[in-house]
Amino acid sequence: MLIQVLNGVVYGGLLYLLAVGLVLIFGLREVVNFAHGALFMVGAYIGFSVAAAGYWWGGLVVSVVAMAIVGCALDATVFRALRRQDPMVTVLVTFGLLLILETFVTAVWGKAYLRYPMPALLSGTVNIAGSPFPVYRLFVIAVAVVVALSLTAWLRFTRIGLYVRAASTDARVASIQGVNVDRLSLIVVGLGTALAGLSGVVAGPLLTLSPTMGNYILIDSFIVVVIGGLGSFAGAFVAAILIGQIHNLGAICLPWAATILPFLLMVGILIWRPAGLAGSRA
Amino acid sequence: MSTLAHDAVRYAKKPRGTSATAVLLLAGAVALLAGFALPWIAPSKLAMSLFAQALFDALLATSVGFLFLQNGRVSFGQAAFSGLGSYAFGVLVARNLVGAEAALLVALLLPTALAFLLGLVIARVSGVAHAMLTLAVGQALYEVAFRWRELAKGDDGMSFDLPARIFGVSARGLQDPAVMVVLAWSILVIVLVGLALFARSRTGMVAAAIRDNEERARFLGYSTTLPRALVYAIAAFVAALAGVLQASYNGYIAPQMFHWTVSGFALIMAIIGGAKFIIGPAVGAVALFYIKDFAGQVAEYWPAIVGGALVIVTLTMPQGIIGLADLLWRRSARR
Repeated sequence: MLIQVLNGVVYGGLLYLLAVGLVLIFGLREVVNFAHGALFMVGAYIGFSVAAAGYWWGGLVVSVVAMAIVGCALDATVFRALRRQDPMVTVLVTFGLLLILETFVTAVWGKAYLRYPMPALLSGTVNIAGSPFPVYRLFVIAVAVVVALSLTAWLRFTRIGLYVRAASTDARVASIQGVNVDRLSLIVVGLGTALAGLSGVVAGPLLTLSPTMGNYILIDSFIVVVIGGLGSFAGAFVAAILIGQIHNLGAICLPWAATILPFLLMVGILIWRPAGLAGSRA
Repeated sequence: MSTLAHDAVRYAKKPRGTSATAVLLLAGAVALLAGFALPWIAPSKLAMSLFAQALFDALLATSVGFLFLQNGRVSFGQAAFSGLGSYAFGVLVARNLVGAEAALLVALLLPTALAFLLGLVIARVSGVAHAMLTLAVGQALYEVAFRWRELAKGDDGMSFDLPARIFGVSARGLQDPAVMVVLAWSILVIVLVGLALFARSRTGMVAAAIRDNEERARFLGYSTTLPRALVYAIAAFVAALAGVLQASYNGYIAPQMFHWTVSGFALIMAIIGGAKFIIGPAVGAVALFYIKDFAGQVAEYWPAIVGGALVIVTLTMPQGIIGLADLLWRRSARR
């Protein structure tokens, strides 16, 4: 049972890494990034290529840095140009980016499923309550916890973090107060996509790589973001753990309904609280 | 109801008098008649078949666009209703449970009724959360169609034979491009005229008022839930039409029909065409269909071309094709 709960936490941790990137981008640009799953997938493929050459940890670093650059470019070209448009238009543009990225990956790496290797350091198992549990899964949990803690510290205790929180609450008022929202959003979107790349690499050995691997987890991350309350970091954390558990326990207890449970939960929560668990805006 | 609200509705109506309605009906009638020439001007069966499929897309895009135009709600799950129409028709016909006419009726009314009920609940939620909720509805139906193998063979999809006759005429015509292209065109024209008339009607204006400012509309004494749900139901009906036409033309249903990418593409079509105009989404759908078709011929990697076109169109002409045409028209008229 404990093992199952832990497995749920692993999936929840992956969802958190994606969802928090979505929250960051939504906070600054009010855009739900449909390309986030594709960025996750591209991050996994970049990491895979370096890892296949024998540098697993190098793959992690290269992927995170590359995705951060992609994110900055994305913000500087697309999001900034569209900031006066209806956010929904921008959402559709991210949908277009999703198509481009999927095609790009298909062209470079092909459609076949690829197996992401596991780092030698983390390939063993440990005993937890009498049953073996892969070390790698504990590593995934640790990554999510470290990201959650450092992100919270960054947002709470640094000046940029203060600006990010201010701009996420109201970008216009923040810019009147002298915050350079465009520069801030460059950092924040870059960070958000870097986290997508990080979760792509970390998820790689647990999943198989394919150009559409981001789609399924993207929908779950959307659910997490909406349940947690758009723009809420704490809400995203709670919702990610919740959906992780439901995803896993559902697959064991109610296999026929497992994939629908998160949707039902979301519909229920939104009817009860239209702004989500911790959200202040609809 | 306050007299103020009455006046608001009456004054809003005045500038577009009966003459505009007459022009609309006339244009509709001309377009309807022109549709019968389609099989003669089309160069080949293939061209007709392609155009018919473009028209199915146009109906679905019109449905999404109408919801956006009248309710201000962005749906990322309109494929739920077209897919439900397809499945209801396909499953009922394949199992011979009811007559073809009854199957058609169920396939059109089931999505409409479902949308009305959903409209009462989820239309209250706005913006991104609403988009996600509709996405959830569509994906939930996708999962059901995917997993419930006994219903229609799950992931494999199911082919079915059309009944011999429907409404007393041979149903074989439904799979003949020359017949289908005229039928789909006629339905699209009637739908567009009907939606335009609805937008001018009292209910349509109340719906638009609710879209612009729900609180104010409520202060004026209007019920805001019902018109919203009504718009939902109408949009779903149009989507169901697209679904039934597509299912009967192909004689095939598959879970992919519910997939969120279908809904996403419908939204893209609406935006490319111009979502602020009733006819915009249909134009966008036909344009995108041919871009897709062309890109599919020249390159294996057509999705990237479509995605690139989408990014460029939204960056350069955010009001869409019809928006751009409207702008140019106004400019030339001013001179």
